Amino acid sequence: MTKLGQWLCGLALLGSAWAALALAPPGLELPAPLRQALLPLPVYLLVAFGCYSLATVGYRLATFNDCEEAAAELQEHIRAARADLRRRGLRL
Amino acid sequence: MATATDQLVGFGLVAFSLILFVYYTLWIIVLPFIDNNHGIHQYFLPREYAVIIPVVAGLLLVLFIGVFIVIVMWKSRKAAKKSD
Repeated sequence: MTKLGQWLCGLALLGSAWAALALAPPGLELPAPLRQALLPLPVYLLVAFGCYSLATVGYRLATFNDCEEAAAELQEHIRAARADLRRRGLRL
Repeated sequence: MATATDQLVGFGLVAFSLILFVYYTLWIIVLPFIDNNHGIHQYFLPREYAVIIPVVAGLLLVLFIGVFIVIVMWKSRKAAKKSD
């Protein structure tokens, strides 16, 4: 089964579990506070995932190390390539 | 080491999303189990807003992305037409 298929199956499982609990007939409902916490659960999971993504992006932005030597080496390569092309007649 | 601005923005994002996550978790998951006379309820809007605000924010996000794409495509089409 493809990855998409697996994700869709997982989502369908969780979705039907949530729907079964949320749309229960009045006799079989969960106790009130549990039900109140359960109903917004899909939106909550979406917001939680959004927060996690934002935090990951921010953390990796803050901890990304500059590579001084690689930058210097790259500038050197650019300079050499420019000189070489100029020598061969290409006007930059 | 990333530059100072990078670190500031990065850790700012982490702090912001942490605060948002804690507030939203309290609102959705913890508050239903706390008595209605407890003082903590005054710091939270009525429960409907816990669903309305993220949905509206999501729609606004999709709107902005769509508008941005339209503007970029428009500009690139005008540039292509001008060079013809």
